[in-house]
Amino acid sequence: MSAALEATGLGVRYRRTWVLRDCSLSLPTGRVAALVGPNGAGKTTLMHAAVGLLRPALGSVRVAGEAAFVAQDKPLYESFTVAEMLAFGRRMNRRWDDAAAADRLAALGIPLRRKVGRLSGGQQAQVAVTLALAGLPDLLMLDEPLANLDPLARHDVMRSIMAEVAERRLTVLLSSHVVSDLEETCDWLVVLNAGRLQVSGDIEELLDGHLVVTGPDDAPIAGAQVVSASRTGRQVGMLVRGAPPLDPRWQARSPGLEELVMGYLRSPDSAALPKLTGVGA
Amino acid sequence: MIWVTWRQHRAQILVTAAFLALLGMLLLGSAVEAIRYMSEHAPPGCPGPAVACGDLAAALGRRYDAVYSVFGWMPLVAPALIGAFWGAPLLGREYERGTHRLAWTQSVPVGRWLAVKLSILGAAVVAGGLLLSLMVSLWRPVFRSGADSTFGNIGVFNMVGVDPAAWWLYAFALGTAAGTLFRRTLPAMALVVAGVAVTMFTLFRLSDYYAEPARTELSGSVVLDDQDARLVSAAWVEPSGREVADPSDSGCPRRVDAGQSNRNTEAWQACLFGKGYRYAVYYHPPARFWRFQWTEAGILTLASAALGGLAVRSTLRRPG
Amino acid sequence: MIEFNLDRGSGVSTYLQLVHQVKQALRLGVLRPGDQLPTAREVVESLAINPNTVLKAYRELEREGLVEGRPGMGTFVRQGIAGATLAEHTRLRRDLEAWVRDARAAGLDQEDLRALFTVALADAAKEGVA
Repeated sequence: MSAALEATGLGVRYRRTWVLRDCSLSLPTGRVAALVGPNGAGKTTLMHAAVGLLRPALGSVRVAGEAAFVAQDKPLYESFTVAEMLAFGRRMNRRWDDAAAADRLAALGIPLRRKVGRLSGGQQAQVAVTLALAGLPDLLMLDEPLANLDPLARHDVMRSIMAEVAERRLTVLLSSHVVSDLEETCDWLVVLNAGRLQVSGDIEELLDGHLVVTGPDDAPIAGAQVVSASRTGRQVGMLVRGAPPLDPRWQARSPGLEELVMGYLRSPDSAALPKLTGVGA
Repeated sequence: MIWVTWRQHRAQILVTAAFLALLGMLLLGSAVEAIRYMSEHAPPGCPGPAVACGDLAAALGRRYDAVYSVFGWMPLVAPALIGAFWGAPLLGREYERGTHRLAWTQSVPVGRWLAVKLSILGAAVVAGGLLLSLMVSLWRPVFRSGADSTFGNIGVFNMVGVDPAAWWLYAFALGTAAGTLFRRTLPAMALVVAGVAVTMFTLFRLSDYYAEPARTELSGSVVLDDQDARLVSAAWVEPSGREVADPSDSGCPRRVDAGQSNRNTEAWQACLFGKGYRYAVYYHPPARFWRFQWTEAGILTLASAALGGLAVRSTLRRPG
Repeated sequence: MIEFNLDRGSGVSTYLQLVHQVKQALRLGVLRPGDQLPTAREVVESLAINPNTVLKAYRELEREGLVEGRPGMGTFVRQGIAGATLAEHTRLRRDLEAWVRDARAAGLDQEDLRALFTVALADAAKEGVA
């Protein structure tokens, strides 16, 4: 499986603080990946390093083919008209599908002659996404694309992106600190926590590979690796990885995506990362 | 990229062009009017160095007081405005609005984006400065033929030749560098205004050293014949040939002048000249006009290149 | 044509919801053999979900032999839900009604009936697996 985005030993620091440490990540082509983690986990930094907005202090990050980036707050030139924004994109990019961009904006009912600054937040987001897609990228990165949007606009923005994914071979990486935003759209999960990579993998495999178990404190749990645990009285609830528990006193069920993410974020020392290829067992 | 540069900076470009056009019309109008006034009022042989022409020059000066005052401020104000509105927003505004994350993540590399912008806008600024210089050079002789002051008057000196272009370029580069430093437009604008003022004052002080001053010894007068020369320093020369700043044991009585009169000083000077003292004057003659122009333009261009390099460096080697 | 909708709070995975909805439509005769299923893009444009989810649901239906993908054309219904014809439906329903009457007479209430039916279904499923 070829990688659309590959980071190797990536480390970024601002002055003397490391905001990203030893981050090795491979995002397979054609996936829609969710980049989640609390505020300040390094999500934006990872994306900025990938698009060349900052230079890593250590390691490297590489994008296969063209990358498009929609930064946080979806910056656009507010004094430009929508048509001028398209002209900007056309002149700033090697690849450009003007007709597709114009069609998309027409379908969304966004007038080309309107000044960008006078569009609604949702419309500005659509213009930003349209600009990014018109460059026919191989990898589309969006930093908090749904923040500050009303539910209808969120739905519309996600529809635009997903339709493009259905149409052609496009890899998407989108960040959010709200996991439920990404539940139906993403099939790959990347969890960053305090500058370290904690989880990277296929969402379905991750959910299948984990269990939420509850039971008495003293029951043994063999063959499973505890990701995180919380105790209330003699009762303990755990997120575990690996084989289901044998002791009948345990009750087990599959976790939801949010539970899985929370479980890892609560215990920063746990990690679920694929073995690096080329490293023998 | 050229279209992008034009679209993003057309407001500044158009306003500057309009300002230059307006100034051109003002200068042309005043010149035409002045020529007509002179043809009606000038005694024969004027304008010229003749004494009779002095009245005419004074009358013209009064008539065009407003034009002159625009003129007086321009050497400082024009570059400050160029730096504040062409330079400071170039990168400062992008950072301020976060649009650098849009502009620098397209196919066009950051380096080329910046190179195109700096070269197009830099060239436009230089062209604007040269146009201003040309207009002023064509306008001034109408009023001042025969009594030039393009060298001695630092304000005029900065408005003619290649200096305006160099000043404008310097202010533009300073604004651009300030924009990367503050990542905001307004403080960058403030820094430009302060920076241009400080630089102008510094270069004014420094200009004495652009060349070894010429020396001449006067007797009978302390006033240099050439009105357009730049005075550097002066000293008294004793009959023995020794230069002193203040002849103390000359035996000439020195009384303090009261009010506006300088009768006592003149009497003291006459006494010194009578005793064989001479007055040594160190100065730069107007013939050094181009040497000074190119020296100043050279300093400013080098500084512009350094500031531009600083802006490029901090843009390309961004920590975040 | 079938119109999908999602119950986002149900806890049932999106792809299973799509599979169930197609099966339900087949059972009710809304979808008939030869009908085309919406393309992944069409589904994605209305639901804003990952297109791979749609493809996965269609693969599952294909694996069960209910639909077939024709390259370059789309996904088409191959057959209805196998088994019971309309006549058999009527017969079975009559039997079930008789059984319900019987159970009522034996003193079982609605909830008991439902529990009994669920248990029977579960047992049958287990035997099927075994």
